[in-house]
Amino acid sequence: MASSRGGQQVIRGGDMEKMSLEQLKAVKEQADIEVNLLQDSLNNIRTATARLEIASTALNDLSLRPQGKKMLVPLTASLYVHGTLDDSEKVLVDIGTGYFVEKTMAEGKDYCERKINLLKSNFDQLIEINASMELLSEDVLGGYFL
Amino acid sequence: MSSSSTALRELQRDLENKANDLSKLQKDIAKNHQVRKKYTIQLGENELVLKELDLLNEDANVYKLIGPVLVKQDLAEANANVRKRIEYISAESKRLDASLQDLEEKKYSKREAILKVQQRIQSHQAGKAKA
Repeated sequence: MASSRGGQQVIRGGDMEKMSLEQLKAVKEQADIEVNLLQDSLNNIRTATARLEIASTALNDLSLRPQGKKMLVPLTASLYVHGTLDDSEKVLVDIGTGYFVEKTMAEGKDYCERKINLLKSNFDQLIEINASMELLSEDVLGGYFL
Repeated sequence: MSSSSTALRELQRDLENKANDLSKLQKDIAKNHQVRKKYTIQLGENELVLKELDLLNEDANVYKLIGPVLVKQDLAEANANVRKRIEYISAESKRLDASLQDLEEKKYSKREAILKVQQRIQSHQAGKAKA
């Protein structure tokens, strides 16, 4: 009837008619919790994608600047110091878990693009799952009143 | 009469103990889930890093952030470190899976034991009412 998967249960539509009111309530709560979790994940992905796009724009802008250009370098959120732009052909990319890689400007832009595409595909997958969860929640409601 | 009420009290104490054990088991299971989630996230991140490192040329510069210091690392060494971390996390995950299985089994058997004690209490009280 229901199979266990890491603590969560997969309920199929046909089983709903056999379940009592209590169990329907439990299923609906479960589905609602999952919908909320998915919404959170979607928001996180949206934030991350936005940050990557800002980084990508900044990169593009940086690549247009000539070497030796005067600039203000942020030391903290409110403290900037004067500096000059060194070679903008090399960029340091944070790839996670504390590792940084030196890449060329083109590779850096490519990295941002790749990450943005990865996030977008995750986002789409989650939207699909979210939609099916909401359908499930509505099905349960329908079972309630029948 | 008094012997059956002491027996009843004992059964109720037993029920309490078992209920406490059950709630502790559930806390352990919840903690297990949390730790497992953390490991899954770390595993995912490390695999991303490994993929990036694989895309690099031999001569690319890799730096590691150790506290406030960026230290230059050898690409081979960085690869080896990330791989080792992935192995470690996978092993820990498997261990957690096994202990989760174990905890769930204990939970089911505890639930059944509790039901039995509850039934005995009920039959006791029914017996007392009749007497």
